[in-house]
Amino acid sequence: MKRRQLLIAAIGLAAAPLAMAQSAPVAGAPSFAGKTVTIIVGYKPGGGYDATARLLARYLPKHLPGKPTVIVQNMPGGNSIIAANHMYNVAKPDGLTIGTFNRNLPIAQLTSVEGVKFDITKFQWIGSAANETTILAIRADLPYKTFEELRKAKETVVIGSTGPGANTHDFPLLLKDLLGVNLKIVSGYSSSADIMLAVERKEVDGRAGSFTSLRPFIDRKLVKPIIRARSTEAGLEKLPVDESFAPNPRAKAIMALRSTPELIARPYVLPPKTPAPIVAAVREAFAKTIKDPELIVEGKKTNTELEFTPGEEAAKILAEVLNQPKDLVAEFAKYIKFGE
Amino acid sequence: MAKKASLALAIGIMLAAGYAVFAAKGWQWKAALFPLAIGIPLFCLAAIELAWTLAGKEIPEEPAQKSSALPWAWMIGFLALIVLLGFPIAVAVFVLVYLKVQGKEGWLFSIVLTAAVWGAFYGLFDMMLHLPFPAGWLLEWLGLAA
Amino acid sequence: MLEALWEGLLLVLQWKAFGFMLLGIGLGFWVGLLPGLGGATTLALMLPFIYTMQPAEAFAFLLGMHAVTATTGDITSVLFGLPGEATSAATVVDGYAMTKKGEAGRALGAALASSLVGAIVGAVALAAAIPVVRPLVLTFGSPELFMLAIVGLAFIASLSGEGARGMVRGFIAAGLGLLLATVGQDPQAGVARFTFDTLYLWQGLDLVPVLVGIFAIPEIIDLFVRGNSIAGNAPPGKVAKGAWEGVKDTYRHFWLTIRCSLIGTFIGIMPGLGGSVAQWMAYGHAAQSAKTPEERKQFGQGDVRGVLGPGAANNSKEGGALIPTVAFGVPGSTSMAILLGGFLLLGLVPGPDMLTKHIAVTYSMVWTIVIANVITVAVCFLFLDRLASITEVRGHRLIPVILVLVFIGSYTSNSHYGDLLVSLFFGGVGYLMVRAGWARAPFVLGLVLGKIAENYLYISTARYEAAWLTRPVVMVLIAVAIAVVVYPFFQTRWRKRHG
Repeated sequence: MKRRQLLIAAIGLAAAPLAMAQSAPVAGAPSFAGKTVTIIVGYKPGGGYDATARLLARYLPKHLPGKPTVIVQNMPGGNSIIAANHMYNVAKPDGLTIGTFNRNLPIAQLTSVEGVKFDITKFQWIGSAANETTILAIRADLPYKTFEELRKAKETVVIGSTGPGANTHDFPLLLKDLLGVNLKIVSGYSSSADIMLAVERKEVDGRAGSFTSLRPFIDRKLVKPIIRARSTEAGLEKLPVDESFAPNPRAKAIMALRSTPELIARPYVLPPKTPAPIVAAVREAFAKTIKDPELIVEGKKTNTELEFTPGEEAAKILAEVLNQPKDLVAEFAKYIKFGE
Repeated sequence: MAKKASLALAIGIMLAAGYAVFAAKGWQWKAALFPLAIGIPLFCLAAIELAWTLAGKEIPEEPAQKSSALPWAWMIGFLALIVLLGFPIAVAVFVLVYLKVQGKEGWLFSIVLTAAVWGAFYGLFDMMLHLPFPAGWLLEWLGLAA
Repeated sequence: MLEALWEGLLLVLQWKAFGFMLLGIGLGFWVGLLPGLGGATTLALMLPFIYTMQPAEAFAFLLGMHAVTATTGDITSVLFGLPGEATSAATVVDGYAMTKKGEAGRALGAALASSLVGAIVGAVALAAAIPVVRPLVLTFGSPELFMLAIVGLAFIASLSGEGARGMVRGFIAAGLGLLLATVGQDPQAGVARFTFDTLYLWQGLDLVPVLVGIFAIPEIIDLFVRGNSIAGNAPPGKVAKGAWEGVKDTYRHFWLTIRCSLIGTFIGIMPGLGGSVAQWMAYGHAAQSAKTPEERKQFGQGDVRGVLGPGAANNSKEGGALIPTVAFGVPGSTSMAILLGGFLLLGLVPGPDMLTKHIAVTYSMVWTIVIANVITVAVCFLFLDRLASITEVRGHRLIPVILVLVFIGSYTSNSHYGDLLVSLFFGGVGYLMVRAGWARAPFVLGLVLGKIAENYLYISTARYEAAWLTRPVVMVLIAVAIAVVVYPFFQTRWRKRHG
């Protein structure tokens, strides 16, 4: 009996370090156990950025080491410059605060918008949670079926927009000013949904915007897509790209500059100086979360389909945006103002 | 007081409208049209009201109104507490201090009501809604911020 | 159609759906009551929970919650002069005035009863409008919406004080509101207007901090200075007993209540006008129903019609706002936008399908609004005397609680201290206006309608140039606006002639 007990004890003793090794994290690997991770959204609840953040917040705990609680806080104002400033200057670099904000903030920094108190390249980039494709869609019953036909149109085509700074406004503006398409842009609609109503009323002939937001109307055959920006999605590959019609390299560069932030459509960052292991852990968690099958199902239903672009790639894209010659930036600023 | 209040409003609005017109003149017409279309008539109307008030008599108020300095002091004090101590702590401190000093309530009532208000506040706005409450300046300065 | 109606009712009466509706009502009760717990924010928070529910259950929950906030928002407005929701601000004007006279019970009774009537009218409209909704909404383009904003502004004349002096002051207040509405980045040229180089003002002034400041703060000061209770020196016991009187008032002014409900429904249907407009137009219309200048003066001093009008309108507009959301997929307000997200989550596509294939679900929504409001009003009546007797509590016990509500209510708009400053500043403005005897309603109307008026004017002119002025509906609305402005003058002259 004693021998048996001794044997069991010996096995137990031998197994103990093994068991401990399973439960304790490898020395140095970060764990969020028992903590609360906050995602700060630079917008009020109800919009696309907020919806994406809340969707992620529901599935991130599964994939973050230590399975922490993840909550969402809204910090609207200044088109999310306030949130970005907070992430840059106030938030602690301990991995417990993640920020998401307006994808056009690189443009804000580039055009020296007043109030910007951050350097977007110095954030620790987790990556982008989605891509966005901007397209121009016009009423299906108009006689123009391709962009070539639209370009040759003698009658003015009226496009509704919400205001400068939004892709509803900027995308057609460049088509009009740089490519000479006969468009009239009427801005001031309170939301893109209102523009769709105006399309139904034949008050305007079309609108530009994200493919995701236009898809229900395309499926209903109210509008059809005519041209897109450089980022693409399933089903849109054959659509012509605005840049390919550019009459000169300068125009092409301006259009590219406008479109590039769309490749980082839902930016997620950690404060600068966040230690590399934490950044790596969060990046991995994001990548896994976005591939989570349950999240994909829920995302499909709510029209928030996610796609992960890792931080390193995002950094490259950012560098592209910010390393532009000054005269190009000056010309760009003549057309595009930072806004919503 | 009614006359003084009217004067203050008329002058204040004239200044606001005047500033608006002045600032708007530098903008492109699309942005300036509406502010100018409102600002200029507003300035004129406010001037008319000012003239009217100056020419008119003071109407004695019944009953005579006491000074509002004290309530304003409390409200601005609350704001200062929020900035210095952070929202959650400020709520507890303000309610307790007000009940004791201004309300002259007993300790038991004050503490119970403060606890109830603070509990509801914390439960709803912090735990449920996760509102961001920045740490108070004073606490940060003292190094006591969480 | 009757079949679908019945089917819709059965959907709501299933145990699970009904249970969720009760849960939603419980939640919505507090959301409406407390300033700072906005309907839209809470809807956004609740959205993930409906993922696992059946459509009828989910809507019972969401709508149950949402339909009730317009009813309970009036409660804080009446009891404390503090709008529980931005859409309950107009109820403060006469509701709180009644409370100060010791008629809190009556005011609450009137607010609740008119809310119920409004909710039912809105729901009936939703059900009945289904065949005509598409042509109706499609007829109202940007020029028509601009004219509607002008009609709204025309009510300034009715909301101003009496006489030429009152009219001038009313227009000054409205002008100030309109001017303040331009603060922020303009949607035509992207110029940052009147932002004084602050990021905070970039997106303009938020409505809630201004409303909370301009209405609640002067009343807090008044309560402080008086030193007694909100109900003043009303005889004890009178306060609570008035509830039935309030309900009878709704009967006495039945057609007014119905008309105001219809105004609310109509404004709710028009997407892009925003939720706060309906209550003020209803209030303006209620004020017009005063037959003599003396009666007219009572508005703002505690005339029960000033409670009935907005009480009905802010409920009926909810039913109205569902119409463009369901029929077009175009939300009529932020809450509706979130509700729309809920639709998609549950696999329902708004549009013609909701009016044909899924019409039973649409009708279940109608029933939910009606039943939720009936339940809420019934429950409120049970506690009404308890609620009303709060107004007999010593003022200094209530003031810290109300102030906390004021500050947090203002803070939750943007989580920015700037909103607190805004509230205090407009508290000062409101205080001066009260002391000087200026009406505050025209100011709010200007603030609420400013952006709409400017934007739709631009769109109309850019799109149609001058031709929009001769569109038939526009001309009708011009006539309506003129009628609304001159009505008070005609009333006085008619009175003098036949008096």
